Order: sequence, then structure tokens, then C-alpha cells
Amino acid sequence: MRIEVIAAQALSGLSVGMVLFLIAAGLSIIFGTLKVLNLAHGSIYMVGAFICYTFTSTFAHVIGVFWWTLILAPIATALVGGLIEIFLLRRIYAEEMLYQYILTFGLILVLGEMCKLIWGVGYHTVSVPWPVNGSVPILGISFPVYNLFLIGCGIAVFVGLLFFMHYTGLGSTIRAVTYNREMANALGINVPMVYTGVFMLGCWLAGLAGTLMPPMSVVALGADMEVIIGCFIIVVIGGLGSLPGAFIGAIILGLLTSFGIFIVPRLAVAFGFILMIIILVIRPWGLMGKPE
Amino acid sequence: MKGFLERVVVIKRLWLAMAVAFFVVLPFLIGEGWLSLVNEMLIMALAASGLNLMLGYTGMVSFGPAGLYAVGAYTTALFLTKTGIPFVIAIVAGPIVAGAVGAIVGWFCVRRTHVYFALLTLAFAQIIWTIIFEWYGFTGGDNGIVGMPVPDLLMSISHYYYFSLVVVVICLILLWMIGNSPFGKILQAIRENPGRTEFIGINVKRYQLIAFVLSSAFLGAAGSLFCGFSDSVFPDYAHWAKSTDMIVICLLGGMYNFAGPIIGSIIYILLSKLISSYTMYWMLFLGIIVVLLVLFMRGGIMGFISEKLSSKIQEIRLRGQYDTGS
Amino acid sequence: MILEAEGLTKSFGGLNAVDDVSLQIEEKELSSIIGPNGAGKTTLFNLLTGHTPADSGRVIFRGRDITELPPHMICRAGVGRSFQRLNIFPRLTAFDNVQVAVFSAQRKGGSLFSRAEKMLREEADEVLESVGLDDKKGVQGGLLAHGDQKRLEIGIALACQPELLLLDEPTAGMSPRETIETTGLIEKLARERGLTLIFVEHDMNVVFGIADKIKVMHQGRIVFEGKPEDVRANDEVQRIYLGEEKT
Repeated sequence: MRIEVIAAQALSGLSVGMVLFLIAAGLSIIFGTLKVLNLAHGSIYMVGAFICYTFTSTFAHVIGVFWWTLILAPIATALVGGLIEIFLLRRIYAEEMLYQYILTFGLILVLGEMCKLIWGVGYHTVSVPWPVNGSVPILGISFPVYNLFLIGCGIAVFVGLLFFMHYTGLGSTIRAVTYNREMANALGINVPMVYTGVFMLGCWLAGLAGTLMPPMSVVALGADMEVIIGCFIIVVIGGLGSLPGAFIGAIILGLLTSFGIFIVPRLAVAFGFILMIIILVIRPWGLMGKPE
Repeated sequence: MKGFLERVVVIKRLWLAMAVAFFVVLPFLIGEGWLSLVNEMLIMALAASGLNLMLGYTGMVSFGPAGLYAVGAYTTALFLTKTGIPFVIAIVAGPIVAGAVGAIVGWFCVRRTHVYFALLTLAFAQIIWTIIFEWYGFTGGDNGIVGMPVPDLLMSISHYYYFSLVVVVICLILLWMIGNSPFGKILQAIRENPGRTEFIGINVKRYQLIAFVLSSAFLGAAGSLFCGFSDSVFPDYAHWAKSTDMIVICLLGGMYNFAGPIIGSIIYILLSKLISSYTMYWMLFLGIIVVLLVLFMRGGIMGFISEKLSSKIQEIRLRGQYDTGS
Repeated sequence: MILEAEGLTKSFGGLNAVDDVSLQIEEKELSSIIGPNGAGKTTLFNLLTGHTPADSGRVIFRGRDITELPPHMICRAGVGRSFQRLNIFPRLTAFDNVQVAVFSAQRKGGSLFSRAEKMLREEADEVLESVGLDDKKGVQGGLLAHGDQKRLEIGIALACQPELLLLDEPTAGMSPRETIETTGLIEKLARERGLTLIFVEHDMNVVFGIADKIKVMHQGRIVFEGKPEDVRANDEVQRIYLGEEKT
């Protein structure tokens, strides 16, 4: 295999991986703090993508509309998440895992169908915005600038989140609640509000991914299921609740899929699951998680 | 007072007898379209009851029952279309192979608990789906396998209905016996408190594995029956959507009650056919129903009924005490 | 000697929860382990029953090394335990709670096709009676009053037919009257069935009431052991307990 082709595949896998990282990071943070595996996280990503489409198409005449959307759409998604957390999720924190999963599964259906109702069954496109349109030659192959931009965004968000979690007061509060909810409560931290905030943060990340992805692909129904399985694999590999884990897991999955399609196209899909099984059996807390 | 309780028990047996009699005479009362639907409900009731042995009795949340269901279906389909073995043997092979696959899958899955267990079952189910979907040469890929050599005797809808009825009733009786055996009680103890069960001398992982295998076998039996019923098998028999159908059915009917999955299947299939005929947004309704169930009616329909029934009995008991001065 | 532990050590992240503990328990002895919170008593129990793997040391029960055995095998060997935090089966009735333990003890777990209702009823009833819960046998475990739940807990442990019984704070959270009743019950059951008992307690009345021997733990080590009068008179023990005593 020529080096250019490898590089192209790698970069392509990485850019997809970065989008998945954003979603998986949200999933992981939510699980780490709220101890709930939000099955509907892919659906929230999809909602974000549709919101992005609506903003960019409605205000297409505005200069730099994509960049405005990049700021607003994730916030809108986070607000949707906030409503879900307050009115639905809150009631089942104390319940068994099964009910949490069924509730979030119900949300997959509701959100999916709402998207179908509002935006129909067709697909929509969002054009790549200036100045990250166009392509650059890398090792003789023309590579889209936007994909590089995605990789950059992923890294920036990762660093930003790490900084936020470990160097800000709010981040410490979140980590306190994550490690020991009762203690944090006893220290006067408003735990329910932290829960809402963390869930909204997770949804903000999903919304960000939902805004960044469309120029590279299309906005359509079914996006929720396409990403959620990949996200499960990522958080298992990286470790449920670990941010660096999600980053590494996303890179691994991105590369595995793009190269896997090269080698054994038909079973590439199964690679992720096999890796997931191996990790779950040998080291369930993933590469960077903590054993319970 | 004792007389009333006795009457409730007798009434239970009466209801059961009436229900069985009802199902037996059904073909004479309704048309073939409806009979086919009832057949579907029976098969689903078996699948859901098989799942519930793991889910409701033992508290093991599996995301992948459809995988074992499909294994049963495809085993029967492959035996029927690729070999000449008799129909009944092909049907029996389904649960046996599904149980064997369940033993392998289960061995890996029960090593973990809670969310990790659930994710493992999901991963295995997806692998099963991928194998079925991609192995075009053997399983027919996304074309599935169509056209089962079903014996002439079972060709008609009402005849296959009776066949299904017999198989389902036998399996349900077996499940009932298992659930009410010491083994079944231990499974429930595991659900309630696995740590404590460990320290009354039970090898919890072994029991969970056995529950997994039994569950898989009954799921496979349902799959085999459905293969003969629908004359075809497709990869989406293993799809996670089917898994969630089964889980929702158990929840809807009531997980902590033997009749729950049965009632759940009937109502779920009826509802889905009904609502689908009026709107293309059946999934929306399902989602709302599911959310409402989880928030307000966790015991499902049977849970709701038995709660109402037990408070009624309490009421009558108290009143009885006042009347007789006891 | 029915139980012997040698050099048991367990540390969590650098902190020695149990530090080189050795003990010998004679058959039919009623001994108590006392010590301030965090002294390592529950961890020691967890090491003895296999719930926590020891970093080093051995546990020998009836001459058999049980150190590496999983909890369910240790239970089968004849060690029973009640737990500090309530460990019953909430949605099963009190009767079922006990019956399931009887099933296990009598190796009936492999029965898939017999009716549980009809099996081993007398044995289960007998256990319920002995802990005074036979009038509540149809009540769901989770709905019982706290004191009754603790007694159910003891009942479950008894139903396993142990020779050695470890009780972790059996009277925690009970009213004074309940405590006295339960203490009397425990002593009676132990003497009747020839059980060897090790119990962790904070209530000194209970301890001095029925213990033949007392071991005092502090910061993971056994700092003193002896008969109740010796323990009562010991200065160091008094010092450890300054502020902790509940007489």
C-alpha cells in the first residue's frame, strides 16, 4: 500500500473519529457522573444535526451563517437535553438499570419520530463553510481542509474539556459529584443541578458534533443509530467515564474502521464489536477507566 | 374469609381452563387473517417468556435476545432447505442449537454484571446479525431464505396454529415449572441480592449461565416456530429492534409475573397492528408508551392488576375481621 | 480449634485496613470483636468469608485452608454470615428468604421441575420460628420493620446450617428492647445448636452480656484479647474507646 493512500485513509478515519469522539465524550461524561448510559445520545446528536440544517438553511443569506450556527446549535441542543433531564431522567436515577435503559430507549423512538415529523424522511445538506472549504495537497493526495478542521476541533475540545475538568472550580465540583455523590451533597453542592448541568454539557457536545458533521456528510434520519453503536464501542475501549479514554477509543475506532474496510470490507463492522467483547471480558473498565 | 380465598384460587384455575379452551376453539370463531395474528402472538409470547426467565426472574438485562431467536429460526430454515430431515426434527434442532450458542455467548457474558453484561449481550447479538447479514453464500444474506418445505399436514393456517399452540403450551408449562422450582427461587434470589445469594452457598455465575442457556433455548424454539409460520427467515430476526420489542413486551405485561410476557405479547402486537394501520408514526406512540410505562407503571399490566387485587383482598379481609369480631 | 487466621493483611491504596492479624477461635466459643469505626472489623470479616481477597496471610477452617476459596464455597464449608448493611431479598416473602437458603444448604438448587412451595417447608418454618418471624412469613422482606429485617438476616444465615457464624453488628439500629431480645435470641440459638460465634458489635451491653472472649481491634490490628473482665479493666482499651463507649 502506498504511503499516500495510508495517510489519506488515516486522516479520513481520524476526522470521522473526532466527530465520534465528541459524541462519545458526552456519553462518557454523562455515564461517569450520572451513572446512566444514555442510549438516546445518538438521537440527541441527530437532533443537533437537524437544528444545524435548519439554522443554516433559514439564514443562508447571513454571512458566516455556519459559524453562528456552530455557536447556537449546540446550545439549543443542550437546552433540549436540559428539558429531558429535568422532566424525565430525574425520576429514574434511583431505579434499576433496566428502567433507565428502557426510558432512554423510549427517547430514541420519540426523538427519532419527532425528527421525522418535523423534517421529513429526505436528506439535507449543509455546505462546507468558508474558510475551511477547499482542499490541500498532502503527500500528493488532495485532502479536504474541512476534515483537517474537524481533527483540529476534536483536539481543541478535548484539551478544553480536560482543562475545564481539572483546572476550574466548576470542573472540580463535577468531579466531586462523580467520585462521591453523598459526600458532595453533604458539602452543600447542589447535586441535582450538577446532574442537569453535566447532562446538558453532554448534549452540548453531541450538538457540536451534530453541527460539525453535516458539511462532511448529509443530515438524515438513521444518523442516531449509525453513531450510537460506534459510541458504545469507543467508551468501552476507552473506559466508561474517562475523557482521555474516549479520545483514544475514538482514534482507535476511526482507524480500525477505515483500514478495516480496506482489508475485510464485509466484516469491518464486526471488528468493533469483537474488540468491544475482548475489552469487556478482559478489562471491562477499558484502557483508561478505573476498576470498580 | 377462607372461603373467599379458596374461591380466588379456584377461579384462577377456571380462568386458565377457559383460556386454553378459548384458544382451542378459536379457529372456529375467527377468520384466517386474525388466526394468523393470534399465531404470531403465541410465538411472541413464548419468546418473551423465555427472555423473562433471564430478565424478570434473574434480573439479567440482555440487549440481544433476538440474536438467539434468529439462531433458532435460521437453524430450522437451514436444516429444512439444505437437508432432507423431517420437519419436526428441524424444529427441535432450533432450540438445541440456540441453547448451545447461548452457552458459548453466555459463558462470556456472565463474567460481567450490570452495564458491562448488557453491552456484551449487545455486542454478541450484533455479531450474530452481521454474520447472518454478510454470509451471503450460507444464509442468503439480506435476501434471507424463503420457501420452507413444510409438511402438507401443517400447510393450512389453522393446522399450523394448532401445532404452534401445542408447542407453545408445552414450553410455557416447562417454563412455569422451572420458575416455581427451587432453581427458580434461587434465580429470584439472585435478582434480589446477588451478593447475599453467593453467601448462602450458591455459585451465582453458574446459575446465571444456566438461566442464560435455558432462556436461549426457549427463544430459539420461538424462532423455529416462526420460521415455519412465516415460511421464511430474514436477518432482521436478529436485529436489535426485535430485541427491544421483546424487552418492551416483558415490561408492558409485567416482568415479575408469569403471565406478564404473555399478556404483553397479545397487547403489544394488537396495538402495533392497530396503530400502524392508522399512522406511520407507530414508533412515536411506542416511545411514548414506553416512557410512560417506565415512569408510572413499572410492574406492567400484571403488576398493576395484582396490586389492585391484593388491596381488594386486604380490604375484604379487614372487613371480614370487623364483621366476625375476630 | 475451629478457625485460625495467620498474618492476614489487606490494604486499600496504601492504607492498611487489616494489618497482620492472627487469631484462633475455639469450637463453640462465643467471641466478639470490638473496636472504633474504621478499625477494620468488617474488612476482617470480608477476608474470612472470601468477599475480599487478602494481600497476604491464611485462613484455616477445620484444618482446611480456605483462603483462596470463593465465598460460596466457604459458605458450603460451614461458615455463615450476616451482613452489616441489610442483606436480605427484599421482594421475596420472609418465608421465601429463608426457604431459598434451605434449598441451597440441602443442595436442591438443581431441581428444575419440582414445586418449590411444597419442599422443605418444615425446615424453613423451623428457622423462621427460631428467629420469631413465623407470624410474618408471608410479608415481603423489604416491607418488614428494621428489627425484623435484622432477624430475618440472622435466619437466612442460620438456614445455611453453619458451624461457625459471623455476625456483623446484628443489633445495629435496634431499640434497646429489641437489642436485648435479639441478644438473648442469638445466645440461645448459639448454645442450642452448638454454634461457634464471632460477632462484631458496638453495643457494649451486648458484648459483655454474652461474649466468652473479646478481641479489640484498632487501626487494623488486634491490640488486645481476653475475657470480658480483663478487657474492661484494661487501660489501653479504655483509651481507644474514649468517646466511643456506648454503655
